Amino acid sequence: MYGRTGLVLLVVVAAIVWILPSYYTGLLTLIGLYALVTIGLNLFMGYAGQVSLGQAAFFGVGAYTSATFAVKANITPWLGMVLGAIVAALVAYALSFVALRLRENLLALATLALGIVINVVFNQWDFIGGTSGLKDIPGFTIGSFTFDQRAYAILAWALVAVGIWFAGNLVRSSFGRSLIAISAGELGAQALGVHSERLKRQTFVLSAVYAGAAGAIYASQASYIDPTSFSFLLSVNFVLMSVIGGLRSLWGAVIGATVVVALGQILQNVVPVVLPSARGDFQSFFLGVILIAMLILLPRGITSRLSEARRA
Amino acid sequence: MMASLWQYVLSGVVDGAIFALVAAGFVLIYQVTGLINFAQGEFAMIGAMTAAALATAGMPTLAAAGIAVLAAAVVGALCYLLAIRPARKSTGVTLIFITLGLDVALRGLALFVWGTNPLSLNAFSSGNAIALFGGALPPQAMWVLGSDVIVFAALYLFFRHTYAGTAVRAAVANPPIASTFGIPLRTFAFWSFVVAAAIGGLGGVMIAPITSATYDMGLTLGLAGFVAAVLGGLDSLPGALVGGFVLGIVEHVAGGLWSTGWEQGVGFLILVLVLVLRPQGLLGRATRRA
Repeated sequence: MYGRTGLVLLVVVAAIVWILPSYYTGLLTLIGLYALVTIGLNLFMGYAGQVSLGQAAFFGVGAYTSATFAVKANITPWLGMVLGAIVAALVAYALSFVALRLRENLLALATLALGIVINVVFNQWDFIGGTSGLKDIPGFTIGSFTFDQRAYAILAWALVAVGIWFAGNLVRSSFGRSLIAISAGELGAQALGVHSERLKRQTFVLSAVYAGAAGAIYASQASYIDPTSFSFLLSVNFVLMSVIGGLRSLWGAVIGATVVVALGQILQNVVPVVLPSARGDFQSFFLGVILIAMLILLPRGITSRLSEARRA
Repeated sequence: MMASLWQYVLSGVVDGAIFALVAAGFVLIYQVTGLINFAQGEFAMIGAMTAAALATAGMPTLAAAGIAVLAAAVVGALCYLLAIRPARKSTGVTLIFITLGLDVALRGLALFVWGTNPLSLNAFSSGNAIALFGGALPPQAMWVLGSDVIVFAALYLFFRHTYAGTAVRAAVANPPIASTFGIPLRTFAFWSFVVAAAIGGLGGVMIAPITSATYDMGLTLGLAGFVAAVLGGLDSLPGALVGGFVLGIVEHVAGGLWSTGWEQGVGFLILVLVLVLRPQGLLGRATRRA
């Protein structure tokens, strides 16, 4: 079901990019990339019941890896995307030995802190551009065709289709059921023979693979990255996407990413008209309020309401 | 070399005293509600911004400082009533996300009210820097250290020598049994937010003359407060004090010896090491609450 719907979504995207203005095509790409990150995050948070407040860091690691290889060594972004996913996975693997020993409150704190440490590394490491970031990142090419906005949208959503198909198969396998068992109670799951530590680590690494691949495409599409692109606020945004769509839902990730990106655009255009003094990251006020309101009123996300409606 | 090292330590002590105040707020809320309040740093920001804005508008510095602490307390009360209390039946992760939402919402709100420009606040007392064994402390340092002494002494007296303080300790030790003895847990949760916000606000007011106040100072300050609280042990108020000073000094010495950009990184490295090697912190109890 996930595979077929994903394919339909890809076809729809591939069709509408021909009529959308290029600005909106760019947004569509962004939605796809964020959805990819959120799918990974939902596996880790929604299914395995853990917390990550540092997911933007893996997105950043993917972006920086691909961009650095492309700018410094002239390596094609296609390979860069794979390398970005691998390096993000390695970083997640290394960090998992620290972070995954903790739960809830302390896990949230640790992932938040690790995310910021990685951002400090982006800022301080001059080889990858330091505070000024990397410019003129080469784009994806096929033969002599250099990707335009349309091609990026199709690439991003092709990955969403693959990503959601893979994650969909995963959550319906014994792997996914074990994750749900862990979130219901780790000790109980262990007693039933679930290798909770190993499964949590694999899921954490997988979520980093999703984020890393998405980040690599982001770097080439934006052609410019700096440390502020991968700040704590982006991690909060990923959490918001997860929560809005529903933590334990893969389609929720797509819905959440769409809602948050669309909301960001609306706020950016409407608020300055109403309140001319608004500048900077003022959207964070609305993001925070919506996050709180969602958690109080609809803690299992929009998709929970949709599936209830379908059952009724 | 030694002289500059000593100076880093002194600067670290001043910062550390502020971190200790923010950390005290974390510990209070964590002890009473079992919740890590990610918005704690924003209370300090509200304190700093309110004081600086009022003083810029012409109010005497000390009066502005007093009102700013009250404002932070009111914000803390509103946060509890509007966001935490309606979700009190939720699980841990949901509450974490809610305080995270409070954090970004308060930061955005500050941006609406005060804009992006940093506001400055005069030091509370004029005078020369205080020389100390070849180093120098800014005059503001006395106010900072003084407020640490007052806050921690007041908390100590409250918890050890008042009836209400004993009741809070009972509630922390065993909520269901305390509840059967008529101890109002929910009221305590409310007041833990109010007091934590006031203490955080005081920290913000104190640091404003040193670093000036900006809408986005809360995150950094809050994270430093977390590190200090975890370092000292999340359930220990003396630990918050010790953790604050240790963190302040280590950050400044490391920042001074290498480069200031790494300061925050060093703080978090400490956090991660503590979480892994000694999750109960320096002064915390070995058993952790479920």
